[in-house]
Amino acid sequence: MMIPPEPDRDSAPWWEAVRRHELTVQRCGGCGALRFPARAVCNRCRSLEYEWTPVAGTGRVYSWIVNHQVFLRPMKELVPFPVLLVRLDEGEDLLMYGGLAGGDAAGLRDGLPVEAVFEDAPDGAGATIVNWRPRAAAP
Amino acid sequence: MSGLRDRTAIAGVGYTPFSKDSGVSTLTLAARAILAALDDAGLTVDDVDALATHRVGDSTPPWVVAPALGVPEVRWYLDQFGGGSVSHSVVAQAAMAVAAGVAETVVCYRAINARSEFRMGGTGRGPAPLFDVQYQAPYGYFAPPQQFAMSARAHMNAYGTTHEQLGAIAVGQRANAVKNARALKRDPITMDDYLASRWIAEPLRLLDCCLETDGACAVVVTSRERARDLRQPPVLVSGAAWGGGDSFFSGAGSVPSGTDLTVTEAARIAPRLYAMAGVGPGDIDVAELYDCFTYSVVVQLEDYGFCAKGEGGPYAASGALALDGELPVNTHGGFLSEGYVHGINHIAEAVAQLRGTAGDRQVPGAEVALSTAQPGYVLAGTSALILRSDR
Ligand SMILES: [Zn+2]
Repeated sequence: MMIPPEPDRDSAPWWEAVRRHELTVQRCGGCGALRFPARAVCNRCRSLEYEWTPVAGTGRVYSWIVNHQVFLRPMKELVPFPVLLVRLDEGEDLLMYGGLAGGDAAGLRDGLPVEAVFEDAPDGAGATIVNWRPRAAAP
Repeated sequence: MSGLRDRTAIAGVGYTPFSKDSGVSTLTLAARAILAALDDAGLTVDDVDALATHRVGDSTPPWVVAPALGVPEVRWYLDQFGGGSVSHSVVAQAAMAVAAGVAETVVCYRAINARSEFRMGGTGRGPAPLFDVQYQAPYGYFAPPQQFAMSARAHMNAYGTTHEQLGAIAVGQRANAVKNARALKRDPITMDDYLASRWIAEPLRLLDCCLETDGACAVVVTSRERARDLRQPPVLVSGAAWGGGDSFFSGAGSVPSGTDLTVTEAARIAPRLYAMAGVGPGDIDVAELYDCFTYSVVVQLEDYGFCAKGEGGPYAASGALALDGELPVNTHGGFLSEGYVHGINHIAEAVAQLRGTAGDRQVPGAEVALSTAQPGYVLAGTSALILRSDR
């Protein structure tokens, strides 16, 4: 991990859940729509009520890059590395970023089924991130 | 909806040289470009009553530039936060200030040492503390080439856009820069050169990326009537539009882009931009399209209505964007080859084309130009101008 997550006051519960290896999104208390990233208001019904709800942690690759440039010094040991943008199975508009856990970047393709893998930072840094591992497609 | 149509004009343009190491402050760069623009217009600092810029913590604000130049009285200023996406809104807001009678003569400038001091996307400098960064930076994802690479890959996935189509833009714009004495890169390149250039963030190569540049550029905005009495033929601000962008927020705006990376905010502002100017895509004689990366040209060809969604790659590779093509694009070489002053040098080039003073790279008879800002990716908006010659 090159840059530790910096949660804001809305996203802190999401990062705390990730720390427990749980993937969650918000469910609107007004219209029931699922939303991510974290924010206090629903952009459909404008309700301020919501709860955090678990998701399956499965999705499909929407896009990806393979980064080669060393933008920060700690990247030097890691390049080339992929970064994925994944659409969750619970909703086309629920998008999350992450690294590739296992597998080869050459195998990435549009719509590839993936599942979330939680990675704890070493040395008790108190941070966990979400990567994505290719999986067999659901029937 | 004619709004600001043809009420104001760009009366002067000024540049510093472009380089990789200016050796001077952004204040010095700003002063040099502003003085050059005023001289071009036949004005002096004593005529200036307003200043406008945008910056991301990397340049000198109007309230420092004005006293440094000895501006007698500042009646209005704009210190717009933001990067390339807001670049054209600076001139648009200056036009609004003049049209509203708040100011008479506004100098708009952008001064950056984008290679020797503050490189976009880092040289040890952490990412800006924006909302979305927390979900991206832990994976080593925060730099503009990465963000545009993500969009370019989505476009390739959806429409079959190819590396060679991106390369056609890099090669073609370099050919234009060969005819531009101000350009940083004037050696011609071939498709083989493009395909051999190293990866930055796949699917983008080094030659897909703009040039990190030290330099400044300024333009003078005043009323059409006043501009007609000045040294240069006026270039009218015929249309202006800007707006906020979509994001990876679920449920965001969503029409037309939402969480679709292959559509930008440009698609949303284009109709009201054209409506204000009373023209359509077919009326544009020359287009200076924000080319932080080759891909941003592809998506804007679509979103500003020059071709259908998904056809930007084939259109770019067809030869249509050449100086003698159907739609000459980035006639100065763009940020890819002239230099990168974060948007304003596109406006300055459009002015040269509409004055008919672009020399070897002049598009014959150019009367209407589109100049655009960074078209918007995650959490970014965009802005654009339609300019026209006053004849
Ligand atoms: Zn709701």
